Amino acid sequence: MSNEDSMDPMRLWREWFVKSEKSWSDSLTEMMGDERFSHGMGRYMHEALHTHRMFSEAMAQYLANLNIPSRADILDMSDRLAHIEDTLNQIQVELRGQRAQLTKLATSSGMAPDAGERKRPLRTRKPAAKAD
Amino acid sequence: MPPLKESATQKDPEVIDQQVERMIERAIARNIPGLSLPMTESELDVGPTPKELVFHSETARLFHYEPLQDEIYRVPVLIVMSPVAKGYILDLARGQSLIEYLLMQGHDVYMLDWSAPRREQAGLGLEEYVIDLVGGCIEAVLSDSGEDDVTLVGYCMGGMLSAMYTALKPRGPVKNLVCFTTPVNGDGMALYKKWMTSPSFDIDRLVEHLGNIPGDFINSSIQALRPLQRSANQMRLLNNVEDDAFVKAHLRFDRWAVDQLPVPGNLARALVKDFIVGNKMISGELELRGARVEFAKIDVPFLHVAALYDHIVPAAASRDFINMVGSSDKQEIVMKGGHVSLVAGGNAIFRLWPQLDAWLAERGV
Repeated sequence: MSNEDSMDPMRLWREWFVKSEKSWSDSLTEMMGDERFSHGMGRYMHEALHTHRMFSEAMAQYLANLNIPSRADILDMSDRLAHIEDTLNQIQVELRGQRAQLTKLATSSGMAPDAGERKRPLRTRKPAAKAD
Repeated sequence: MPPLKESATQKDPEVIDQQVERMIERAIARNIPGLSLPMTESELDVGPTPKELVFHSETARLFHYEPLQDEIYRVPVLIVMSPVAKGYILDLARGQSLIEYLLMQGHDVYMLDWSAPRREQAGLGLEEYVIDLVGGCIEAVLSDSGEDDVTLVGYCMGGMLSAMYTALKPRGPVKNLVCFTTPVNGDGMALYKKWMTSPSFDIDRLVEHLGNIPGDFINSSIQALRPLQRSANQMRLLNNVEDDAFVKAHLRFDRWAVDQLPVPGNLARALVKDFIVGNKMISGELELRGARVEFAKIDVPFLHVAALYDHIVPAAASRDFINMVGSSDKQEIVMKGGHVSLVAGGNAIFRLWPQLDAWLAERGV
């Protein structure tokens, strides 16, 4: 911290906030653990879900009329992209397997493996002896 | 009245000018923070350690990290991430990466990093996650490494999944089990327990409506455990805004903290009903595909690492774990720090990582 900043009132306030944050957070968490709060939160969640469903349905129709994609359309597209990504992952895994097979064949037949293929490390490492 | 010192009256505007100039230079150098903060994973350059995808099934992606030593320990290490968290927290940046550290010490490291479930994957539950996906990744590690056993290292809920798998398969192939901040006692998750046992909370209705539980929902639930922490972190950022290294490290952590993965509906249902409400891991009633999950059956070397100031998985939720496990070779390390700083903070680099390496090395031959 530079000396010029040490008397900055905003900085002092921020430092106070950081120091007292834990106790404020604990108080808030305690409040949220109250029976009435828990009950109210559950009810609020269901009301929010109900409102969300109604609003989504109405909005989807409205957006369709405007020829604009809705959230569901975007999620559909996201799922399709994820499918493509999965397929690419599968191809990547297959290629890796094929490359390993080829390396093994090349090694067993005495041919030099592909220069790009990294030599596998030996699995013989031992932990360093403990000092007395 | 004595005259004011000349330097005090004349220097202040100069000092202010210099400060403003420095701020402007820094703002330009950073491309104006606030308008163009590095926000994406690629911009923040997280996960820099080279890796290859080895196996992929449903939401499970298994990566193998390129070894950094010519001679490595025989037993491969498989890190199992929590289904709600992205794996790059363990590989944040060069010099701040548990993965890189383990590779440097000569371990062969794999990671099961989950991807966001698609809507059609909402049916994936605890059985699929433990038996099919963790199990599938273990088989892939064995096949890829050519070994017949593996060390599992689970982080948070990844520890739960790893422990469940090990308990179901006590004859192997898990050789060692390490769990970081792993919750096993639903009663210890006090706030969640209160919310989820309230008569107005209905997980079935939530899953029916949403399918998968969105990442934002998970993030809000985690933030409720310490509601002002994020604001306090922003204050810390402001207080250190001139320290470039601090700003970048803060942004990396902050990015990860809000980058939660959605949870498949069925998995969320199981976590709420079996873990939080039913507390079945403690009562020993948890069953996966007809087999009872009993941690007492775990008899491989076991290490549990907990954080002293963990507000996400408090001590009450994890402290029973060590006593439940049946292993004769078991150890618990409780370190200063929080849920994340335990594995990725400064304390982790200098204190936890060397202990973990020593533990793994001794049992990895």
